[in-house]
Amino acid sequence: MQKKFRPLTILEYVCLVMLAILFIFPLFWMVASSMKPEAEVYNNMNTFKAFLPSFHISEWFVSYGQVLSRFHLIGYIGNSLFYGGCVAIGSIIINGMAGYAFAKLKFSGKKWLFGILLALLIVPFETILISQFTIIHKLGLVDTRLAVILPALAGAFNIYLFRNFFMAIPESVIESAKLDGADNWQIFWRIMLPMSKPAVATVGTLAFIGSWNDYIWPLMVLTDKSKFPIQVAITAINSTDPVYINQVMAVLTISTIPLILIYIVAQRYILEGLGGSGTGIK
Amino acid sequence: MSRMGWKTNGLAYTVMKSERGLRGGIHWKDNMIAYAFLGPALLVLSMFLVIPAIMAVYYAFTDYYLLTPDMRKFVGLDNFFNLFKDPIFLKSLLNTLKFVVCVIPLQVGAALGMALLLNKQRRANTFFKVAYFSPVVMSLVVISVLWLYLLNPNEGIINNALRNIGISAQPFLTSPKQAIFTIVVVSAWQGAGFQMLIFLAGLQNIPVDVYEAAQMDGMNKWHRFIYITLPLLKPTSVFIFITTLIGAFKLLVQPMVMTQGGPMNSTMTVVYYIYQTGFTDRMVGYASSMALLFGTIIGIVTVAQRKLVKEDDD
Repeated sequence: MQKKFRPLTILEYVCLVMLAILFIFPLFWMVASSMKPEAEVYNNMNTFKAFLPSFHISEWFVSYGQVLSRFHLIGYIGNSLFYGGCVAIGSIIINGMAGYAFAKLKFSGKKWLFGILLALLIVPFETILISQFTIIHKLGLVDTRLAVILPALAGAFNIYLFRNFFMAIPESVIESAKLDGADNWQIFWRIMLPMSKPAVATVGTLAFIGSWNDYIWPLMVLTDKSKFPIQVAITAINSTDPVYINQVMAVLTISTIPLILIYIVAQRYILEGLGGSGTGIK
Repeated sequence: MSRMGWKTNGLAYTVMKSERGLRGGIHWKDNMIAYAFLGPALLVLSMFLVIPAIMAVYYAFTDYYLLTPDMRKFVGLDNFFNLFKDPIFLKSLLNTLKFVVCVIPLQVGAALGMALLLNKQRRANTFFKVAYFSPVVMSLVVISVLWLYLLNPNEGIINNALRNIGISAQPFLTSPKQAIFTIVVVSAWQGAGFQMLIFLAGLQNIPVDVYEAAQMDGMNKWHRFIYITLPLLKPTSVFIFITTLIGAFKLLVQPMVMTQGGPMNSTMTVVYYIYQTGFTDRMVGYASSMALLFGTIIGIVTVAQRKLVKEDDD
């Protein structure tokens, strides 16, 4: 054991604490500012009070109430939850099925298709935004909820992730299920998915977070405000006069809460899912 | 759950298996089952990834304007020649390069530093890890709007703090000189926590006995860092360096929300310009040529990364 208070140890702690402050003060300021009257947000900037909510508990949720009545926030959050839920469930099923085919089924053109799949990992989504939009335009899906959900359902990386997890499930498990009369769909649904919980959790969570945080795509394909997800609504609210800082901070806080909850719940699975199976991150 | 039509029972399967054994090929039924499983994914991927990518390549050589699709004609390399005469494109290219060159050392350096600080048994580490990671949890839109207020020229908390240490208020996002660097700092702040976790995993993969042996040989702390930690951390560093590089090239949301590309196009990035010409101005052909050029660059870097990471694995 080393002595506790060597100069270097103290220096380390000073660095650690300073960095921690640097990284969390905006978050604290955001939450604190959402819990006080607008006039007080830019007051007391030189004291700790800038990072504390109002001293009157009755004022804490006033801005939340105001912003909820001014904008149809419940609707936006509902939209985001709906898009995220559809994308998460759809991603698990659709990519899982494809992963199962690549891992456990024999078919002509497998090598060839898998090669294309890996090549697709290279295509940057940002550079095909415009032609993706023209497809949605041609399909007549502009300003529909389907336009937000559909393109996010399948992803080469997710298929690859599922395939790697499924590869690790021994052939003998499948053989014995087949002897018991299970068909491929049952094997996929009752054996492969339950045995690959980290993969299911990883794909589901990342798909949900990706959908919840997506901004550009819904901004492009939606015009009807009632279909906006919360991220698009945030920028709309932030530019709808009159803009009250405390209300904006309340919206930001509300939109961050689901993500914090997800990270707390799924964090362990995600690390297992991403770290475990040769995805490049070691 | 609905049962689909392509179910096979155990008996049929054994029969199929023996047939296949005789022929040495793959039974059509196997193909049908497999493609039924692949179907939905293939449909979505081709619809929204493969076809758009091919279309983008084709459009890049046409003068496609979204409102007059029937009048589009093949213009060869004209779009590409025009690109390099387009001052806004050149500016966006320069801005993107500025961003990339500045954000990589800042973000990767910070992430490595934090990982090194945390690579030690300490009870409070969980707290620090969560703290450093917290900006990653917030969406790009949220952090962009939040920093917009933190950086407010008059009342923002950052300028207030600067005034307290005797520095006059800075026009962070409203000055053509500072805006892109402000976006650099905010982006690095947001992403460093994630990379810290990857670095930390890399550090913890280095076996302890290597260090112990080096210590026995009389190596000091600094030499152990230079001769053991850094070389053994190389695969992780390469991975992080290149993913940061690729991510930085794609910068879009932060300038879109914080500055709308301004002031004076000083935060216009290539991807933002693609979005503007293609979506706002509806010049799909011109935007596609930019996308093709840029997508190729990012693609090459991605392939290079795969190769590098693979070599390190071997």
